[in-house]
Parts: sequence; structure tokens; C-alpha cells
Amino acid sequence: MQTEATLAQADVSEMDLVKRCQAGDPEAFDELVTRYRTRIFGMIYNMVHNEQDAWDLAQDSFVKAWKSIKRFRGRSSFYTWIYRIVMNVTIDWLRKKQVKGVGAEFDDAIQAKQIDPASKTAPKAGALPYEIMERSETRTRIDNAIAQLSPDHRAVILMKEIEEMQYHEIAETLGCSIGMVMSRLFYARKKLQNLLRDVYENI
Amino acid sequence: MKTFEEKWTAWLDGQLTGKELIEFEASLPDKAAAKLEKRDAKKLGALLKRELGTHVIANEEFFSHQLRERIARENVEPFREQAAEVPTWWTVRRLFWTGTASLALFFVFAVFVMREKNPAEQSQYLSQILNARVDPVVSPNATVSMFEAKGDRVTVLWTEGLQSLPADYAAK
Repeated sequence: MQTEATLAQADVSEMDLVKRCQAGDPEAFDELVTRYRTRIFGMIYNMVHNEQDAWDLAQDSFVKAWKSIKRFRGRSSFYTWIYRIVMNVTIDWLRKKQVKGVGAEFDDAIQAKQIDPASKTAPKAGALPYEIMERSETRTRIDNAIAQLSPDHRAVILMKEIEEMQYHEIAETLGCSIGMVMSRLFYARKKLQNLLRDVYENI
Repeated sequence: MKTFEEKWTAWLDGQLTGKELIEFEASLPDKAAAKLEKRDAKKLGALLKRELGTHVIANEEFFSHQLRERIARENVEPFREQAAEVPTWWTVRRLFWTGTASLALFFVFAVFVMREKNPAEQSQYLSQILNARVDPVVSPNATVSMFEAKGDRVTVLWTEGLQSLPADYAAK
């Protein structure tokens, strides 16, 4: 797994920061948040497809991590440990949302509808407009496909393909067996291959 | 024993090796189709990585600032959780010892105190009277009888023809 740590941050080891957090040092926790906030936010966003929800869930996850940091014994990496909290918070939220049947529309889809065709605002990035639109469509297709997976299948495929986590790390994060992880990966891949075949064939 | 799904996933991710790999590949009915699917899975992984791996948080510093404020506002400290756990553990321990001590006290009370107050037992005073030999010279017609109602905790000592209670046998 990669880390966001800069060279200066790398001087202070993760375990040192965790120990300082356990001693009640909020600055050490702030340092850990800085290291992992982007990855954790990105992961949650890929699960829920909504900026505001991802923001709130990431905040909730970090607060939970701070509250329970005393229980972290260092048997796994801090990242695996906090990922477990993140996944519990996010999967619970998704299950509750599924039960309530709230919202099937994602941010990207909403944003696409809200773009004023006569808008004078031009993107500053170098990409051409048709490239941006194509990219946006691809993203929407992927989001729609992922949304058809159960929360558990979503978590497994994202951890494997985006975070490049090992089977045992995923199993530890989700609190299930390695066999269960492999089985979920099998079905998640099959489903996404069926739904996105034309997208990845054209890359 | 791995299921087909587990072996297939491990094969796609290049995790099958040695004898297991040879056996699995030999068991595939259409090896060409399987290799095509493996290629597809790789393409899917690359697509997901490219499209989903780039999402960035809009305002990182504000995210941290908001989190700091929330932690301060809710006044949540890792200590508090720990502090909350300790009394719970002590309470259970204390409950155990209090229960044990109470039981011990009860048995002591039951054995030494309750037995003393057992109405079935005769008091020392009555025993002295009943065991007393009434002097036939002093009281030739003396009779001593005792009636006891255990249920009501009443004992009646009935004496007849007794001139005086011998001083040696008086209750102390």
C-alpha cells in the first residue's frame, strides 16, 4: 500500500504518532489525519458517490478512530486499523440508506444536469471539452456499475483494485475470512466485467 | 479446500503457484477463454484504478480544521474512553468481592448467632432449674415441671411446693 507521507513526515514513524495519540496528543492525531485524509476520503467517495456524504463519513470515521485509539495494539498497520473503522462506518451507512431507499442519483449525474450549456466559464485544465465529457461519462458508467454491487462487494473490489491491498489485509479490514474476500472478488469482478465490458474494451 | 471461485480469483491475481497452479489450469475446460477473461479482469482493474484512484478531497485543510473543532467541541479524548472503562471493570470486581463478603457474613451470622437464638434449644437458666435436685428435706413436696411451645417460643416453668429457689441454681 502507498502512503501520502512526505519526506518530512516520514521522519516521524507511524507508531510514534500512534503512541503520542494514545497519550492524548491531538497534534499527533492531526498528523495522522493529514497523512490519510485524501485516501480515506477518496475510498469513501468511491463507495457512496457523493461529496458531502463522503466528507461527513470521513469525519465520523476519524472521530471514532480518535475515540478508540487506545485500543489500537499495533498488531496490524495503523492504516489497516483505521480502514476497518472507515469500512464499518461506510457499509453501515450504505445499508441504512438501502433500507430507506434514499437517493439513486450521484453527484456526477446531478452536476452534469446542472451545467448550463451557455455558461461562459471555461475549464482551466488542458483537456479538451470532448475529452472532459467523455471522461465524465466513463466515470458515471463506472459509478452506476459499482452502485449495483452490494456494500460488501463494493468494499472488496475497491480495496483490491484501487488500494491494492492484499487478501489478508482486506479480510482483516472487513472482519471476514480470506476465502470470503476471494469469493466476493470473484462475483464483483464478474458483475463489473458484464456491465463495463464496452468501456474497458475501448481503452 | 478452496472453492472454484477462490482458485479462480487467486489465478487471476497471480497468486496460484506450483502444483496448485498446474492442477487448476489443467482443470479448466477452455483455457483460451479463461486467459481472455483474465485479460479482461486486468483491463477492468486498470480502468477502475485510472478512473477512481484520482479523486481528491476538495479542501484538505478545512477538513482537518473542522475535525479538530469537532473533537474539541465534543470534548472527546481517548482518555475518557479509557477512564470510562476502568470503573466498569472495578465495579464488576467490587461486586464480586462484596457478594463474597456478604455471603461469608451471612454464614457466620447463621452459624453463631441464629443457633444461639434457636427456640428449640433450652436456655442455660432452664437447664439449671430442671437439673436441680430439689432438697427433699427443705421442700418435701416440691415438683418442677416445664411446658414448652416451640412454635410460639414460649416456655413455662411450673414449680409447686418449693419453699425457696436454691441460691446455687439461681440464674446468673
